[in-house]
Parts: sequence; structure tokens; C-alpha cells
Amino acid sequence: MSRSKNANGVSVRIKDESSLLSSKDKTGPEQLSDEILVARITRGDSSALEALYDRHASTVLGVLLKVIGDRALAEDVLQETFWRVWRSASTYESERGPFTGWLFRIARNLAIDAHRRTNVRPQVLVTENDVDALADRAPDPDTDVPEQAQVDFRNQQVRAALASLPRVQRQVIELAYFYGMTRQEISKATGEALGTIHTRARLGLQKLREELDREEFEG
Amino acid sequence: MEPREIEELLPFYALDALTDEERDQVEAYLRAHPEARQQLDEMKEAVSALPYGAAPVEPAARTKEELMARVAVDREAKSHALKQEQAPRPRETRWVNIFQAFGLGAATVAILWAVVLNIQLSYLRTQVSTLSEALVAQAHSLEQINQQLAQPPVSETVTISLKGTDVQPQAQGQLIADPNKNSGVLVIAGLDQLEPGKTYQVWLIDGGGPKSAGLLSVDAKGQAVLIVTSELTIGEFNALGISVEPEGGSQQPTGDIVVLSDM
Repeated sequence: MSRSKNANGVSVRIKDESSLLSSKDKTGPEQLSDEILVARITRGDSSALEALYDRHASTVLGVLLKVIGDRALAEDVLQETFWRVWRSASTYESERGPFTGWLFRIARNLAIDAHRRTNVRPQVLVTENDVDALADRAPDPDTDVPEQAQVDFRNQQVRAALASLPRVQRQVIELAYFYGMTRQEISKATGEALGTIHTRARLGLQKLREELDREEFEG
Repeated sequence: MEPREIEELLPFYALDALTDEERDQVEAYLRAHPEARQQLDEMKEAVSALPYGAAPVEPAARTKEELMARVAVDREAKSHALKQEQAPRPRETRWVNIFQAFGLGAATVAILWAVVLNIQLSYLRTQVSTLSEALVAQAHSLEQINQQLAQPPVSETVTISLKGTDVQPQAQGQLIADPNKNSGVLVIAGLDQLEPGKTYQVWLIDGGGPKSAGLLSVDAKGQAVLIVTSELTIGEFNALGISVEPEGGSQQPTGDIVVLSDM
């Protein structure tokens, strides 16, 4: 178990690769789990970073494009996201959750920062349609959706689960998660009472989890 | 805040959309009420799936190329620093060599050395007072240096995007530099292989025209990394260009300009 300090000076730890690596895992990087690849990055293995990039970059770019809405900027933020994985791999703690949670958190925070730098934050959205447009922003039609994604069962499951939510619940969840809007900002933007926003968020997450359970989703 | 009010914040805590103050309140509540953890974990489970709700998009090849080029530079820098740490100190090496070279003769040299030193002793004593005055002056300078070092370092590193011209539109890169300093790191990808006898040359351009900032060595994938240095600070230049020049470089650009970007 190695220890290091993150940017906030908080001591963190990551499991040694030996504790994560079984004998059958001693193959190419593309065969290894995310957590083993992160452990390898802490030892300076750039092929491990490349394998993680190949595995997750398209999902991360999808999130970034949804938040930022600009393909070139989203690609820059994608590069910065994986650069931070390379530089900060030692701060990842496998005990606190899967690598993807850590990765998506880095990407989301960078995307929200980029979105705020390039856009005036929607303090008051004039109409409900504006809020809908933000929450439902479709990817750039010029983007290349990988063929594999068309049949990606996991993506289909989540999209189906999200689609099953009442629109107002999905709207609150997406504005909070993808755009980092606080509950007060969502209340102001939608013109709904704070209590209503609380209820929609709680019921929306509850229903989303039920739907994912029903579809036996495995993240 | 009432417990009921804090419980209403749990969905937004799971969505990571709380203010710092609200987040602190929720975390304090969770420490006091561990039973609320299960409810939160269920919400987090749903949130963890949200990224998969966005349609995946295949990134451009150059994004990965630039990333891996940055990583290669970082690895090289770390490797270089490690070698420097592991290398024997020059002073130790010199003394080892001296003893090996002179062997037993070293004792004779030491005796002669002692005689010379004795003769010089009286002369040195006369200089002590002068040196003492110099030491006082140096101590004052040292204090000033320490005061400067005590100031937090100011780093304003910026990343400047570089794009290929019509000659090589696929070329893409970045210059990572502090505008107040005289050097930076140039990372570029997508450059064509050149015919023998030709080389890529980097130019920093200001009002006085282009100034050479070094030659690029491009690998088989068309990638290159260069530590760009200049007598002027990077921020004083208006643009960066890369041209094709005869091997060894030129005084001024003479061939095709393949990259040209404002800074």
C-alpha cells in the first residue's frame, strides 16, 4: 500500500498492483481492470493510460459534449481529463469506489468550469423551453457516434431508464449533474418552488435506480 | 438546519451539486446518523450511471496523440530528474580519480602542498581583514536573496494551441509556457515525414521578424517535442511558426510554412 498526498494535502492511498493482479491478469493492458491500470500509471506506465483512454474516452467525450456543446473545446477538456488521470493517479482510492466514478467526476468538474468560462450562467431562464433545451441538449450532429455505441447495451439501459422518468424529474437531475446547477439555481431557472425541486430530485433518483435494477444494470 | 431539511439535500449531495457549506452540513449529519448512509448509497448508485446516459462520441485521433506526447515529455522529464539524483556527485568522482591516478605519490604531493601553504600563510593572514569585510557584504546579499526566495513563486503557465497551415492542415500542437520566462515546451503531432536533407525549424515571431527557436526531430508517427528557448520572454512574441528548412536550419525561414499560430 503506497501513500501520497493530494492537492489538498490530504493523505491518500492506493492498493499495490500485486493485491489487485491475479495470475491470469498478467496479459496486455487492454485485458486488465481499470483499477490495475491506475496502479500501473502510478509507476509511470503510459501504456496503462492509453488502455484507459481507449476504454473510456468516447463515454467521457459524450458527457463533455453534452455539457460544453462545442466539439473542439470538449476535445481539449477530454485531453486535460486524462492528463489529470496521469498526473494524479496516486490520489485515486480504489476502496472509495470504481475508477469510472473518479474519472467522470474529474471530467464533469472540468466541463462545468469550461462551460462557465464560455457561457453566461443561466441565472434566470426565460422560458421552460430554454431549460428543456439545456437539459436535453443533443450531441453535435457532426460528431461521429461510434458504431459500437449503437449496440452498447449499457448505454441503452441507462438511456431507457432516463427516458422512463417524468420529464420534470429528469430535467432536475440533468441540470444538477451535468451543469452543476445548485437546487436554488434550478428553482430560479424553472420557476418552481425549492420544495418541488427537492421532491423531483429525490423521486427521480429513486425511480432511476429502480429502473436500472429492473434492467439489471451493471456500471 | 433541521434534520428533515438536511435529508432533502441528500439527492443533491449524491449529484455533487451542493454549495461547500451545504456539503459540510450533510457530511456532519451523515457522521451523526450513519443509518442515512444506505439511502445515500442508493442515490449514488443511480448517479453513477448518469454518464452513460450521454451518447458516446469517438474522439479525434489527434486528441490522443497530443495527450500521449505530453505524457512522453513528462516521463522524459521525470526520468532525467531521477538520473540526476542517482548520478555520483562530481566532487566525489574527482577525488576518487585523483587517488587512483597518483597512488602512493599522493603523499609526496601532500608534503609539497603543505610547504607551499605554509609560505602562503603569512600572505593570507594579511588578507583576512579584507575578506571579512567582503563576507559582511555577501551576507547582506544572501539575506536579500533569501527574502526573494521566501516569496511564493509566480507561475502563469499557459497553453497555446498550434494549427497547421494549408500545407499541412492535419498538424496540431500546443506550446506550454510561462509568458514571463524564456522557455517553454512545444508538443506537436501530425507532421509529415520530410525527405532526407530537410528539417523542421521552429520560429518565434515578434515585431522584429522570426527568430529561430530550434530544430524539430519528428518521430515515425509525425510527433515531436522541443524545449523552445529564447533570449526574450515567450510573452514578447506575437506568433509561432514552423517551416521546412535545409538540414541544420536557416537564419530566416526559406521553405514552406507548415504551422503558424498567433500567441
